Amino acid sequence: MNRLRQTAGDIFRWPFWLGALMAAGLASALFGDGGWDALSWLAMAIPLGVVAWKASAGPR
Amino acid sequence: MTAQSVKWWSLIHKWTSLICTLFLLMLCITGLPLIFHDEIDDLFKSEASARELPADTPQAPLIRLIEAAKARYPQRYVQVLNWDDDRANVINVFLSETPEAPPGQRFLKLSFDSRTAELIGEDAQQGGLMRAIRIFHRDMFLGLPGELFLGVMGLLFVVAIVSGVVLYAPFMRRLAFGAVRRAGASRTKWLDLHNLIGAVTLVWLAAVGVTGVINTISLPLFTAWRAQVMPELIAPHLGKPPLAKLADVDDAVVTARRAIDGNTPVSIVFPTEARFGTTRHFIVWTKGTTPITSRLFTPALIDAESGQLVTARGLPWYLRTLQVSRPLHFGDYGGLPLKIIWALLDLAAIVVLASGVYLWLGKRKPSRAVAEVPNRPAVAATSGISS
Repeated sequence: MNRLRQTAGDIFRWPFWLGALMAAGLASALFGDGGWDALSWLAMAIPLGVVAWKASAGPR
Repeated sequence: MTAQSVKWWSLIHKWTSLICTLFLLMLCITGLPLIFHDEIDDLFKSEASARELPADTPQAPLIRLIEAAKARYPQRYVQVLNWDDDRANVINVFLSETPEAPPGQRFLKLSFDSRTAELIGEDAQQGGLMRAIRIFHRDMFLGLPGELFLGVMGLLFVVAIVSGVVLYAPFMRRLAFGAVRRAGASRTKWLDLHNLIGAVTLVWLAAVGVTGVINTISLPLFTAWRAQVMPELIAPHLGKPPLAKLADVDDAVVTARRAIDGNTPVSIVFPTEARFGTTRHFIVWTKGTTPITSRLFTPALIDAESGQLVTARGLPWYLRTLQVSRPLHFGDYGGLPLKIIWALLDLAAIVVLASGVYLWLGKRKPSRAVAEVPNRPAVAATSGISS
């Protein structure tokens, strides 16, 4: 068993930034079409990609 | 965090989740096809387009469309006219069987070429499967009570999300972000997946949850607004005989356009006994032209007898909130790729909900598998860690 002991800052760092990215994605498509839409797709696809990557990573 | 507060938050998370999960699963499953309802409708129903005509062909006066609709169905009532969202140069006229047109009554939709005033389509709007799915998603065929009930389930879901965030810390104290322990019991693996997927999709879950709750109170909000503005609008007309002759509807549109500069008209509600209109006015609904303002609809009320502008005030903040919350719930504001992302997030939400139920079931029946888990996070959480 690892001896990892994280502070609240450590624990919430990644969820916070991925959440911020998701929020930016939700908002940006509201602001405009074209580039804003593309920004939104990118911003929301990254968190989804992280889930897919972490969920599919091999046994550890 | 103390062991005691972890216990309390666990109870909150458990019970709010348990009560709403079944309904949330239903909403996620019925919501999935609804994300693509435009595409699905196109697939099964091909609506006639307007003919190819030179680009500078002038628009026919709206009154010609109205006259044509009335001539075709003299026993019906013209309720609404709208400029078709998806088809260029197409205007739809909606007719009801009764003057009151109670909620739920399906209007007969006549589609006209807006330049030649020729009828190009007629749709009784029987709806079919997608309509049934939409109504089930909204109120489970129970009308307003069902809608409000789902709103309460949505509020519980929001509480479950908040308590889930609070519990995330003690559960993740000894785990790196996104770590999924596969070696041990299946319950540990699903706990880790529940935490991972929940944490990453949190903002989307909260956005769709909160906007969904707001949507459930749209009818009461409109009723409140109506009660607020109607007495003043109807007062000058009390005791007068019913309208004998309507003002020119095309002039009404011109007046509305002038009153709300920069907006384009989207629909006209004709004088009606129905709840969505008044007996004395044309309501010309307009929208802005930028991506945000095209979601914000502003009505102009035109006296249906004199053709004079009555009011073109913007809507109150709570109806603006409702209007903005709609795209954020439906995910229909960023093209097909956004819809696909919406669908993937919806599937992720189903995994979070289902794994939550699985974790609860596993906890209820302490099995060998659970006992095998070394260093359960719940133990770590309650073993004197303070923060």
